[in-house]
Amino acid sequence: MTTMLRAEGLSKQFLLHTQNSVSLPVFAQVDFTVKKGEAVILHGASGVGKSTLLRILYGNYRPSAGHVHVLHGSQFVDIVTATPRRVLEVRRRTLSFVSQFLRVIPRVSTIDIVKDPMLARGIDPSEATRRAGDMLARLNLPERLWTLAPSTFSGGEQQRVNIARSFVDPTAIMLLDEPTASLDAANRDVVVHLIDEARNNGAAIIGIFHDEAVRDRIATRRLDLTAYRAAA
Amino acid sequence: MTLVQPMTDFAIEPEPLLLSKSVSKMYGDRVGCLDVSFNLWPGEVLGIVGESGSGKSTLLRCLAGIDTPTAGEVLFRHGADPVNIFDLPEPTRRKMMRTEWGIVHQNPRDGLRMDVSAGGNVGERLMDRGDRHYGKIRDAALDWLGRVEIDGNRIDDRPRQFSGGMQQRLQIARVLVPEPRLVFMDEPTGGLDVSVQARLLDLLRVLVRDLGIAAIIVTHDLAVARLLTDRLMVMKDGRVVEEGLTDQVLDDPHHAYTQLLTSAVLSA
Repeated sequence: MTTMLRAEGLSKQFLLHTQNSVSLPVFAQVDFTVKKGEAVILHGASGVGKSTLLRILYGNYRPSAGHVHVLHGSQFVDIVTATPRRVLEVRRRTLSFVSQFLRVIPRVSTIDIVKDPMLARGIDPSEATRRAGDMLARLNLPERLWTLAPSTFSGGEQQRVNIARSFVDPTAIMLLDEPTASLDAANRDVVVHLIDEARNNGAAIIGIFHDEAVRDRIATRRLDLTAYRAAA
Repeated sequence: MTLVQPMTDFAIEPEPLLLSKSVSKMYGDRVGCLDVSFNLWPGEVLGIVGESGSGKSTLLRCLAGIDTPTAGEVLFRHGADPVNIFDLPEPTRRKMMRTEWGIVHQNPRDGLRMDVSAGGNVGERLMDRGDRHYGKIRDAALDWLGRVEIDGNRIDDRPRQFSGGMQQRLQIARVLVPEPRLVFMDEPTGGLDVSVQARLLDLLRVLVRDLGIAAIIVTHDLAVARLLTDRLMVMKDGRVVEEGLTDQVLDDPHHAYTQLLTSAVLSA
């Protein structure tokens, strides 16, 4: 199967200048590859660096050493050394990050938030509207909420808006940071199905899930970060 | 469900639109900005952040051709090859600034003609571009007032009859109507109420994306930078101390000053 992502010698330490320049080593020399159709679950105790690693894969954090090669179309792009505009292009079409938190933009309606990535990819606005509606309905968000900005929604509702936005038009690599965290059982099921659907269509999934049952349903493989713990 | 297919072919790399080469501006012994170099590509939105006195507005004024740098060059792709904007004859530079660039001032009074109607403020820019048909100009002005959420029946009112937020939206319409390739903005939401700011920010975000224009935005507000910009430069004492993808610089700042700046923000 095609390799979608290859992490090479990733190390991370945080240097906090404002707090007596304390240095916080997280992990060192992490190597792994993820292929098309795989779901790799990051494993290890709290503080082992699962979220940090996921953010590095997305280009949100910069590693202290190492590379992240991502298959974008027919060529690999190193997220660590690529120019900002190339990273943005890879994110627009290949690499998504889904957290449990929605970054609300004031005044933007729920349906527009969900449509936004599709419009950025040049999908016809009427098709984007139809697909956004279908996805919101699937995630049990009542239609009367669609035209409202989600600032006043509950945490669970905002979380589902965020999931709708990412899974309405899934990319080839999906990075998931606890997307099912505070959802009820019915909605958690929907999200697990969405993840499976994306994977069956060839997406490579890398995720963090604390819920053991969800983890077992999604995972095709586990990656334990404990072994890479950096010496303090 | 099918997956998104990438289609960009990176073999064809577009050329940068604006090149800043070691731009410095001194006021006697005092440093305005020092040795600032970067490239800006078409459609890219660059933010410049830093506290007041860090040199960000000085840099913007040099890049926009308002002030002449003490050293360094600003090149702009005008036609096939990049030209040094300070080497151009004054009339050519003025014309280029009017048709290919736009400047959104912090104070709308600096960017608007206060004694000319709202429609005139917008239409004038189309006439600069060579449009002569009155009906078409008025229609375009109406269309743009709608896009910046100003009621069409205010088209004959003068900006001084508008609220601060409306004036700022009118200024944005006036700047964007000739469809410039590059827009400079200095604290575009500076003097506005928070609710008005949010409205304006979303408007800017959508317009910049839909028109594919490049922009350089100076702000001291990191939330504004996160919402509007792709890339960020952090300035301190006239120098760029850190730069990169906006979310990277804000979420994983490396320089001591950027860490201070991002940790000083109160979250509402």
